[in-house]
Amino acid sequence: MNFRQKQREETVKYLTTMTVLMALGVAFSFVQTTTTRAETATLHMIVCGDYEWGGEAAERHIGKWEAANPSYSVELEYVPWGQCQEKSKTLAAAGKPPALAYMGSRTLKQLAQNDLIVPIAMSDEEKASYAAPILATVTANGQVWGAPRAFSTKALFWNKDLFAAAGLDPETPPKTWDEMYTFASTVKEKTDADGFGLSAASFNNTMHQFMNYVYTNGGEVIDADGEIVFNSPNNVEALTFYGKMAEVSEPGPIAYDRDKLHPLFNEAKIAMMITGPWARAEITDVNWDVAPIPVGPRGRPSTLLITDSLAVFKGSGMEDAAGDLARFLTSPDNQFEFEKSAGLTPLRNVAGVADLRKEDPSWGAFLDAVETGGPEPFVTDYVALEDAIIEAVQGVLLGEVKPADAIAEAARRLEEVK
Amino acid sequence: MRALGGHQACFPYLLLMPALVVTLAIVGWPLVETVRLSFTDAALKPTENYVGFANYAKIFNGSFPSVIARTFVWMTTSVGLKIAIGTAAATLLNASVPGRNVIRVLVMPPWIVPIAIGVFMWSWLYNGQFGMISGLGQRFGLLSGPFEFLAFKDAAFLATIVTDVWIGTPMVALYLLAAMQSIPADLHEAAWCDGAGRFYRFRRVTLPLIMPSIATMTLLSAIWTFNSFDIIWILTEGGPRDATTTMIIDTFKTAISRNRYGEGAARAVMIVIFLSLFSGVYFYLLARLARRAIRAGGER
Repeated sequence: MNFRQKQREETVKYLTTMTVLMALGVAFSFVQTTTTRAETATLHMIVCGDYEWGGEAAERHIGKWEAANPSYSVELEYVPWGQCQEKSKTLAAAGKPPALAYMGSRTLKQLAQNDLIVPIAMSDEEKASYAAPILATVTANGQVWGAPRAFSTKALFWNKDLFAAAGLDPETPPKTWDEMYTFASTVKEKTDADGFGLSAASFNNTMHQFMNYVYTNGGEVIDADGEIVFNSPNNVEALTFYGKMAEVSEPGPIAYDRDKLHPLFNEAKIAMMITGPWARAEITDVNWDVAPIPVGPRGRPSTLLITDSLAVFKGSGMEDAAGDLARFLTSPDNQFEFEKSAGLTPLRNVAGVADLRKEDPSWGAFLDAVETGGPEPFVTDYVALEDAIIEAVQGVLLGEVKPADAIAEAARRLEEVK
Repeated sequence: MRALGGHQACFPYLLLMPALVVTLAIVGWPLVETVRLSFTDAALKPTENYVGFANYAKIFNGSFPSVIARTFVWMTTSVGLKIAIGTAAATLLNASVPGRNVIRVLVMPPWIVPIAIGVFMWSWLYNGQFGMISGLGQRFGLLSGPFEFLAFKDAAFLATIVTDVWIGTPMVALYLLAAMQSIPADLHEAAWCDGAGRFYRFRRVTLPLIMPSIATMTLLSAIWTFNSFDIIWILTEGGPRDATTTMIIDTFKTAISRNRYGEGAARAVMIVIFLSLFSGVYFYLLARLARRAIRAGGER
């Protein structure tokens, strides 16, 4: 045998070995899949975040559901917040949807319109257990498209020591926009700190922050008939005030999303900020309290209500089981246990909520505005909604556009996605 | 013998088959699929329709031309700085100084550190309240108060370039250092004997001999920089008001964030066309340099 023949023989051996190994691999995975299928059906569930965020309670509840439904095994997948919803949507668009996924409720209308999710079969009793504004965050065309899973409202945090240092009454938070501006201005003038924490980064919570001003000034984005009513005097006034607050806030608010304000507040670099209840655990170094969001000249106490939901995707072949699991996980007792574990605002006024208020009176500011709160706008392209509103806010803060023009332009863009 | 010869002719292609199949599967098919999608209205809905060149017309009637222009400004500035600083750094690293091996190792971290971690570090450096750059600026009287580099259009644009240059320069420097070390020492000695000074030797000996490497690195760096996503996304997400939105960011926002796969695919095809042009120039230059080297070898 010469060298070439030897070389060819070795190559044929190599190719044969590789082919056999690949065939074995395929056969093994097929056998494993069919074996698993024969025993239990795997229900793929995508959850945003990680185990630390209520995972202990959620996994315990899932275990209970599996015990009651032995023909199903839940495959729980934690996905980081930044990629979580895109992953579920992309899988669905590719025809491989998860059975159940955690989604921002604002996406539900878009998913429903594209026939990617199925409604949750919720009884009247189950519907009645939610406050009407909360149920509105998941309802479109008369159907409930998600089981509310996480809920947040916002309130005003203030630093009592900075108020005292500026000569303000540390026990009296601002109740109106005018007071908020005046107090912030006083702090900025009389201390080394800035009066307020304003966020305007290219990130979705800038839109959320601005919506607090819209709702506390009686504004709306979409009315009950589904028409865009964003271009209103209330909203122009809200955006004008947002721009005005930049005068008494930290320099360069466009560099800050809402959560980046927390370290500033914790270091006493800002005297006030509007954020959610989870901030309470992060603020450890200053003397603070929390109050309802100050009210604009045309409005009433309010807040943006944000819910995230468990959505049942179409095409997994186990829609009924997924819907049942969603309703089990969000049943009043299980949901409240999850909320306490994750530090979320309670979705329902269950018996334990009164105890929660007694244990921690700071919950009051977050719970009192629920009945008058406004939902995240329900549109068919929520990223376009975010972009339109964020660009309006940034345009005003950069001095590139007047508030009235910014609102009008945003309203024009929203017409395309209503 | 003839039969064996025929087998032998097929044999190399047989060996190439696994690589060819894998390449077609992971490069060819997605590319064809992207081009196909760009002619459809593919979105979240399960069905898609052929729309001809509508997606291309749409992107060129919108803000995409300004995104292309911004991408080229971003890329040329960044690559220019990387090549200039990388060449200077390679020259210094090539100098006979004590402990130069240690210095060469110390150049590596920006390249070795995972990009996301490096970029997060820069996002804190750019922070006005806690960041070192703003702090030093205030201490030396250059800034009157905290300055947020990512809050203003021009500053944010420059900040993303600086971070990209920080990450990309070590690679350029080490590549050019290797090129410099391949220059025979006797050329420098001969020039020195003829009275050439340090700068003259660099200009007339070093630079011409490393020019092929500089050309190669410039083109490769241009391709990588053109496609750079993570740095801009982590620092600014394309803001403020699209000031740092390059083609790749715009494509991601359209295709993934907004689920407009057809429009996103049209943007991706435009990127492929631009990168193909760069690659064409790269291969043309490589061939030209190879021909020149062969000619030079023949003359010698």
